[in-house]
Amino acid sequence: MTSRGTPSRFLQSVLQNGVGRYVCQLKRLSIIFSKNAQSSLGIREFIEEGVVDYAKNNPSTVVYVSPQSCRIPKIVAEYLNGNVREEIVTSKTSTQISEVITKLTNQSGLDIIRLRKPFHTDNPSIQGQWHPFTNRPPSIGPIRPQKQDA
Amino acid sequence: MLRFRRSASRLQENFNLEALKKAFINPCYLQAEQERRRALGVDSEAAALALKDNIQLSEKGAGFTKSFLTDWCRVNFPSLRSEGVESVVAHLTSSPVVSYVARNLGIEDLTMSAECPVPDDVLHSTFMAVIGALEESSGVEQTGVFLRDFLATQLIGKDLFDMWTVVDPMGLLVEELTQRNLPLPEPRLVRAAGASTVLPLYFVGLYSDKKLLAQGPGETLVAAEEEAARVALRKLYGYTENRRPFDFSPLQPHQKQLIQAVSSS
Repeated sequence: MTSRGTPSRFLQSVLQNGVGRYVCQLKRLSIIFSKNAQSSLGIREFIEEGVVDYAKNNPSTVVYVSPQSCRIPKIVAEYLNGNVREEIVTSKTSTQISEVITKLTNQSGLDIIRLRKPFHTDNPSIQGQWHPFTNRPPSIGPIRPQKQDA
Repeated sequence: MLRFRRSASRLQENFNLEALKKAFINPCYLQAEQERRRALGVDSEAAALALKDNIQLSEKGAGFTKSFLTDWCRVNFPSLRSEGVESVVAHLTSSPVVSYVARNLGIEDLTMSAECPVPDDVLHSTFMAVIGALEESSGVEQTGVFLRDFLATQLIGKDLFDMWTVVDPMGLLVEELTQRNLPLPEPRLVRAAGASTVLPLYFVGLYSDKKLLAQGPGETLVAAEEEAARVALRKLYGYTENRRPFDFSPLQPHQKQLIQAVSSS
């Protein structure tokens, strides 16, 4: 499939975030892991070491730690605009999990799809849209088809 | 409880948590809850709801929002007519804009409403109640900054005439010019191209005292004249696309001290 067929959006932020003040868009973070499975070794380590510091550094995020009997530990992030993202962290080390959580914290929660351009503006042109008379001195007469011999 | 505290720290405001909790209780929720208890056969006196609704807070917040945004618009667009200011404020405090802001600030989750999903008008009154609670707990100045950061930013990228429906821009322009003691605008055809084709283009310029006020394009002469009048009005009101951006920078500490000094003396 060509890139034209895939869904796309413009570069944007939620509610012009950061123009006035920055609001962390991550609302809720649930860490789901098993108490004794091999695959959640790294996440248990992270919970012992880093999760309290994380909650202290991010006072706007609610962190839930829920031990369940599961084989696949995961991190569920809920954003202010209602989007939910799940990250599976099977057999990841504590530092890798910390990176995943930092990434989830910094995201805006908008859909992760193709961006049409890496920049966006609400005012595309300061001097106005181009029209046939742009930069045309008024002394020249009306626009005509070009002469063949010229 | 934790969620309220987190929500307050997310918005970087110091809320009185009791007031904030009260702000989220809508009258429709109280009614529904009482009816539910009655249906369950609970004695209404034995299990009376010890909750108060947010009507007062909401009214207070709505009044403050309106007055603050009006002042803010007057400061940013000193030459804008009062009808224009009113329609800009009405746009910013309208239900779609406010409920959009409230949804993206996570207020919907905390709202206690009879219906789910929360209807727009309930969300609107809840957001206003939150503003009322903020005014009670951190004062007028901080609430003003909050409104500026979250509601006034919705004005970015908006055109004046999207918010303010002017049916006859030429009449308004004539009125404005007579108020300023300027000669009346004189429309002249400045440029034309393809007049005999299906895609004609006319440029009409408006001259006042032999000076070009504005020029605007259009497919017919009438449309071009109207567009030119709109361009001229935007220039007069200082709401052009290339205006200086709004100032959303946080209050500087020395400004805060100045305000405190003024308010204490």
